[in-house]
Amino acid sequence: MDIVVADNLVKAFPAPDGGEKRAVDGVSFRVRAGTIYGLLGPNGAGKTTTLRLLSGLMAPTAGTAYVAGFDVATQPAEVKRVLGFLTANTGLYQRLTPRELLVYFARLHLLPSDAADARADELIASLGIADFARLRCGALSTGQKQRVNIARALVADPPVLIMDEPTLGLDVLSNRVILDVIRGQRDAGKTIILSTHYLDEAETMCDQIGLLHDGRLVAEGSLGALRAETGEQRLTNIFLKTIEAHEPAGAPSP
Amino acid sequence: MIFPHRIRTIYWKELIDILRDRRTLVAMVVVPIVLYPLLMLGSVQAVSHQTKSLEHEDLVLGVVDDGQRGILSSLIVADAEAIRSEAPAGEAPPDDENAPQPLAQEKIQVFASRDELEEAIRQRVVPVGVIFVEGLDVHRADLTHRVLIVADYEEPRGISASRRIQEMLRRTEERIRGDRLAGRGLPPSFVEPLDVATVDLSNPSSVLGAVLPLILVLMTITGAIYPAIDLTAGERERGTLETLMVCPVPVIDLIVGKFMVVTTVAVVGAALNLASVTATVYFGGFDRIIAARGEGLPLAQMAFILVALIPFAVFMSAIMIAVCSFARTFKEAQNYVTPVILAVLVPGGIAAFPATRLEGVMLVLPVGNMVALAKELLLGAAVPVWQMAIVIVSTSLYAAAAIAAAANIFGKESVVFADAGSWRGTFARARLRVADRPSPSLGLLLVAVLFPIWFFVQSTLSPAPGHDARGLLWGCAVAMPVLFALLPVLLLAFRKVRIAAALSLRMASTKDVLGATLIGASAWVVAHEVNVFQAQVLGVPQQVVESAAQLGQTLSAMPLVAVLLTIAVVPAVCEELLFRGLLLSSLLGSTGPWRAILVSAAVFAAYHFFFFKAAVTGGLGILLGYLCWRSRSIVPSMLAHLLHNALGALSAVRPEWFAWMDLPGDADPEGQWSHLPVRVIVVGLFVFVLGIVLIALRSSETRRTIRPAPAPTTA
Repeated sequence: MDIVVADNLVKAFPAPDGGEKRAVDGVSFRVRAGTIYGLLGPNGAGKTTTLRLLSGLMAPTAGTAYVAGFDVATQPAEVKRVLGFLTANTGLYQRLTPRELLVYFARLHLLPSDAADARADELIASLGIADFARLRCGALSTGQKQRVNIARALVADPPVLIMDEPTLGLDVLSNRVILDVIRGQRDAGKTIILSTHYLDEAETMCDQIGLLHDGRLVAEGSLGALRAETGEQRLTNIFLKTIEAHEPAGAPSP
Repeated sequence: MIFPHRIRTIYWKELIDILRDRRTLVAMVVVPIVLYPLLMLGSVQAVSHQTKSLEHEDLVLGVVDDGQRGILSSLIVADAEAIRSEAPAGEAPPDDENAPQPLAQEKIQVFASRDELEEAIRQRVVPVGVIFVEGLDVHRADLTHRVLIVADYEEPRGISASRRIQEMLRRTEERIRGDRLAGRGLPPSFVEPLDVATVDLSNPSSVLGAVLPLILVLMTITGAIYPAIDLTAGERERGTLETLMVCPVPVIDLIVGKFMVVTTVAVVGAALNLASVTATVYFGGFDRIIAARGEGLPLAQMAFILVALIPFAVFMSAIMIAVCSFARTFKEAQNYVTPVILAVLVPGGIAAFPATRLEGVMLVLPVGNMVALAKELLLGAAVPVWQMAIVIVSTSLYAAAAIAAAANIFGKESVVFADAGSWRGTFARARLRVADRPSPSLGLLLVAVLFPIWFFVQSTLSPAPGHDARGLLWGCAVAMPVLFALLPVLLLAFRKVRIAAALSLRMASTKDVLGATLIGASAWVVAHEVNVFQAQVLGVPQQVVESAAQLGQTLSAMPLVAVLLTIAVVPAVCEELLFRGLLLSSLLGSTGPWRAILVSAAVFAAYHFFFFKAAVTGGLGILLGYLCWRSRSIVPSMLAHLLHNALGALSAVRPEWFAWMDLPGDADPEGQWSHLPVRVIVVGLFVFVLGIVLIALRSSETRRTIRPAPAPTTA
């Protein structure tokens, strides 16, 4: 079953010259429930904008997308209810503790007071936050902050998770914890859309991969299929080869 | 529940967050408790020290020749001697400020000419000059000697020196006069046929009344600025806004929660400020100086100010939140806030003028009305309830519009995401999508802006007591189509909202038209009985009786067609377009039908200004809102409104048409306030209920659920 469906998504922003710039330009893909879908691409390829469109944070200029059957353009509130979103440059409330923050977001998802406390404690235990659960977030290290962020995204136990660069700037240890959590979620039946530009990470994590370049999806498939298509083994080479093939103007629509 | 779970969650979180911020605590607690008292004590001490030292300073007096110098010094010596000889035997208390102070150690400097003397005063070489224009010969009783005291009256030293010279000359003049009268055996009354004295009835708190409300505005704004910026632009700048927007939380809940925190901080901060100022004035011993008449500070009235402070804080917080919602960074927000403060000070300053009264347009002037109300309360004036109601209702309306605008801006992509382009583009018409409904902020903003304009139109056109109300009727008949119909239509067209859909301009089913006719024909029975009940409980204000009589007389003198046009047709069409068309439609886009109907009815009632009429107009607003929502058409509510108004007017100008009903007004001039005959009530209620049942019945046409269309968004 396809739990996330994007169909010809377009997002245009006004350009300084008065025209418009298409950050996402006709992107279509489908994500099967219970899998990890990797959205890869260089900086500025349109990964973050695509994820924001899927999460109902931005309205598409054209095209449609559905998450768990809800239309992101007309039912953003329902989409947000079934979605956990880890944004790339998420800030935490500096003056709250991780525990207070988790309880706050649980309450925003309308969990009753007791259930919110219980959920926060559960996540604190499972993500190894206990040691710093009562410090102010402002005093945490990058890795600790990212764990809190992931816990925040998981607070309502959503069936779909969107993770935008979850391991950006993390040390090896924190990196491992975060990737383990993501795999654990997949094993628990959750669907994950993962955006990253660490290609080796994508190689080991993703069931399906979509390559974004210049706002367009230039290649899509499982790692095996992409290898067969390009004749390259390493994802890095597959990536470079595909992009080079699309460098000339007039890339075919996916 | 007034505040849903989520708003409370947001409120407590934001309150904890903001109170843990050192900057908030400094602005809210340290500044008022430490800084204000210090500033106040310091400046008052400095001023009083300066005044005292000037009083005892040795003067340098300028004169224009040696002869004048002789005259002046002999007067000074004579005055000092007289004071010494007049002093009582016992030593006078040294610090008695009212005792005459002789000039003693004065130096007199001689200048060559008056020009030179004046130049020296301008250069501040000497503070004051004395010129005896015709010299001085105290024995010449046939001559009034002219004495000029030249000084720079903008300069404290000049003012003080001039005053001391004047006092000395006054004492001298009195002595000369006394001697002359005694020499001729005349009593002092001979030259004093009148003894004019003024009796000052001004309230001891006059100074406070003039100054404090304005200080209050500043305190409240100061309190609101920091949290408003921190909770909006700050959230955005720290990167937490995106996370928050990912949660299934309506932006309006976020804004309301944040707005309540800003209001709380502003109220607490302003209360601390007020308490601190009061305590400083009271314990610092300045209360007598400030209260001017020696009666001390009116502590009880401080409580009044605190009460007046709350609607104030609500309004200012809403404005601050709206303004800061535009900003993506702290700095940007600070830039937006400054002009707002200046803009707020203008109406506040006008209202603080001693001559400004709480009347006319001042009742609905944003900020100005609250300052004027606080001032009147402090001055001890009796403010009628309806005036307070107008001030509070209009302020609430403006605050609601500001909150709605903030909610509209805050969630915009261009505000949430730095890379989503300029927010200027967000409001560009070219980027609007065609929509079937205006956004709630557009609806609320329009009625908030129209409110003071409409009040101004009504109060300008209102006839003087005893005059014809024709000007009001025709003026409204012209103004209403422009303000209530043309303006909304132009606004909708500009915002690319489909006009017919937004204003529910579609034909209604026969069932709904019939229901509306029955309701329109019978609602006056219910309205009359509500009025009678209200009159029995609350009494009828004289103003209502007079204006009803005035209107009745005017209508009787007008042709029937004109009566129906001005009373029934124009208001029914225009008011329905604005309140049931644009406003209700805009609210239905974001909230449930009952809340939307209640809010639109409350605004409709507020637009009728008379506090006394609020129950009936509010009820009518709910009824008409229900008609419009249920039938999805403006026609039934227009029809019911038209019939209701027309019947009311006809009963006044053609009572003979209603004779068969035996209405109480025929026999009794006070009949307007007595019950209708029982059979009229029974039949009227039956028809009324029948009409509502018809409307409430689901026809196949209305069974489809009405999905709120999205508000116009930019993509």
